[in-house]
Amino acid sequence: MIVPLEHILILAGLLFFLGMGGLLAWRANLIMMLVCIEVMLNAVMLVFVGGSARWGSADGQLFAIFIMALTSAEVSLALAMVVYLHRRRKTVDTDQFSEMGG
Amino acid sequence: MKLYLALILLLPLMGGIFNALLGRTLPRRVGEVVACGVIWSAFACAALAFAGFNGPVRVEFGSWLAAFDFQAPIALYLDQLSLSLTLMITFVCGLIHLYSVGYMQDDPAHARYFALLNIFVFAMLMLVLAENLPLLYLGWEGVGFCSYALIGFWYTEEQNATAGRKAFITTRIGDTAFGIAIVWLYQLSGSVSITHLNTMGTLIPAAVVTTLGLLLLAGAAGKSAQLPLSVWLPDAMAGPTPVSAQIHAATMVTAGVYLLARMFPLIGGSGTVRAAIALTGGVTAFYAATCACCQRDLKRILAYSTISQIGYMVLGVGAGALTGAAFHLLTHAFFKALLFLGAGCIITALHHQQDIFRMGGLRAKLPAVYWPFLAGALCLAGFPLTGGFFSKDAILGGVAAQGGPLYGGLLLLGLITALLTSFYTFRMVFVVFHGGEEPHTTPLPKIMTLTLVPLALLGLCGGVLNLPSYLGHQGILDGFLGSIPGFGGGEKSSSGGEIVLQIVAAILSLTGLGLAWFRYTGSRRAEALAREEAGLPGAGFLLNGWRLDNLYGALIINPFKHLARFFWKQGDEAGIDGALDGLARLIARLGGLPADWSTGRVATSLFGLAGGVCVVLAYLVWVTLP
Repeated sequence: MIVPLEHILILAGLLFFLGMGGLLAWRANLIMMLVCIEVMLNAVMLVFVGGSARWGSADGQLFAIFIMALTSAEVSLALAMVVYLHRRRKTVDTDQFSEMGG
Repeated sequence: MKLYLALILLLPLMGGIFNALLGRTLPRRVGEVVACGVIWSAFACAALAFAGFNGPVRVEFGSWLAAFDFQAPIALYLDQLSLSLTLMITFVCGLIHLYSVGYMQDDPAHARYFALLNIFVFAMLMLVLAENLPLLYLGWEGVGFCSYALIGFWYTEEQNATAGRKAFITTRIGDTAFGIAIVWLYQLSGSVSITHLNTMGTLIPAAVVTTLGLLLLAGAAGKSAQLPLSVWLPDAMAGPTPVSAQIHAATMVTAGVYLLARMFPLIGGSGTVRAAIALTGGVTAFYAATCACCQRDLKRILAYSTISQIGYMVLGVGAGALTGAAFHLLTHAFFKALLFLGAGCIITALHHQQDIFRMGGLRAKLPAVYWPFLAGALCLAGFPLTGGFFSKDAILGGVAAQGGPLYGGLLLLGLITALLTSFYTFRMVFVVFHGGEEPHTTPLPKIMTLTLVPLALLGLCGGVLNLPSYLGHQGILDGFLGSIPGFGGGEKSSSGGEIVLQIVAAILSLTGLGLAWFRYTGSRRAEALAREEAGLPGAGFLLNGWRLDNLYGALIINPFKHLARFFWKQGDEAGIDGALDGLARLIARLGGLPADWSTGRVATSLFGLAGGVCVVLAYLVWVTLP
């Protein structure tokens, strides 16, 4: 393998924390948060694929495909909810939704 | 005999239980008949027991308290003393019950009244007949409880309820001393049987006997309203008048005298105890007589006269004149019940007026009350040849026979008291019945005035029970009671000395009568009453019973209240409550810290998640770094 596993892990880590930072910073826009979650999931998929290549096993790739399917389902559901929330409140700022507060 | 004794005790108890359980549902007449019937049946049993009496008997009904070698069976002891007291109690209480039927005819709580009255009699009979001290203590406490409930019978008025509590708490002080004495006696002798203990006198160290005697004296002082525990009795007038009659005449207050007389073979061995008993009695008699001279409330005059007369009895016990004390106890029961019942008639007739200065001219209006009341007053004042004259003289004779400076002084005090007694008694009679304008009266139930007659006869003729021996015969009571341990003792004064003493007592009694006559009848009456109403110098001191209540208030009650307030405010509220409240506030504040995190906003959860990830990572880094 040309690319060593450490490099892949570093890249995945960078992507993951990039996504997490975006998630925390972009609370004003729910769609951008979904995008950031996608980035984090992709970082995880990268780790799976890298691990699969490193140990020559198909399990990791299998997981990556699962995650892709799961993500597409999740995004379609989440976007539907975003549309619903936007209709109710005319906003996608998450700080405006605190009805669950104790 | 066993059956009679059981019935004497059980009948009043059953009557009380019957009235307590069923009295409210049954017609009034049924409760009244049962209440009176059981007491008169008990009297009949006592009379039968008297007829069949031929020496002291001890009857055991069963085991009551038994633990290891401590034995207190339900055992009764009938000797001459308890028999004569039982006869007196059932008879006088029977009359009081009959009288109550008339007196309480408009009171809705008749069931409670008669139930308590019956149980009162039961407790007193138990006290008199008990063979061992725990059983006696049971009756002793029963009497205390019933008096508490009956003094505060009209408990809806704060003042009455307070009087009941005062009686209960004050007597409790004496009861505690008595209780200690019982336990100590058991510890010393391994027995609580009265007859057994009375033979132990010589085996117990003298100092211990003295202490025991003083403890018993304290117990007797509480029940019999002697100094310094006398303060409850004047306030006990808050109850219905028949109750006052029962407490003062036949039961309760004589319990202390009975206890001292009963235990005399044990405690009489100590000269200190005898002197203390005599001193208590003599000083109390004088104290109460002075107080009675200035009272305005009819029932309070009688209350102080009771304290004074009980003082005489205690003095008699202290002088060893036990027969005299028992004699005075019996005659006093008759004439004091008579006076109280008469006072009840007067108060009822005058629409619950008790202030004697508002009375007057009742002689023509209430002749059926006047003549018996006068008979009672003559006895109380020790008018020559009445029952009270002979019984009081028997006590004074016993005191005179003792000799010595202490008993000489007490004899002088007793004679002064006799003068005061005569004065305040006739002050009461003259102010209430003579002079003044005739007030409006309500008619009295016939039964109330009828019950006075037998008591008046017994009071007047009570002297026959024990005529002085210089008349040639030994007195009936002297012969009857003489065989009881302790009663035969007491030095007899010479016939000559006794005659001199009786003449002196008669002169004093007549002097008191004369003084009262001079002051409270005819033209001087209005002037004397006006001056007394304005307040004579020193009258306030006597009116309030030498201000003993104030003294106890300042010495005991107020410090106690302050201490209680301190514990309440500083100890309970500030200390315990404060600590608990502070702890609760601390926990609540700690709980409030994470509560701030549940804002419901997504951002908070996300920051929590990110923080958690950082912590986990930091941990992993810390673990893997070499």
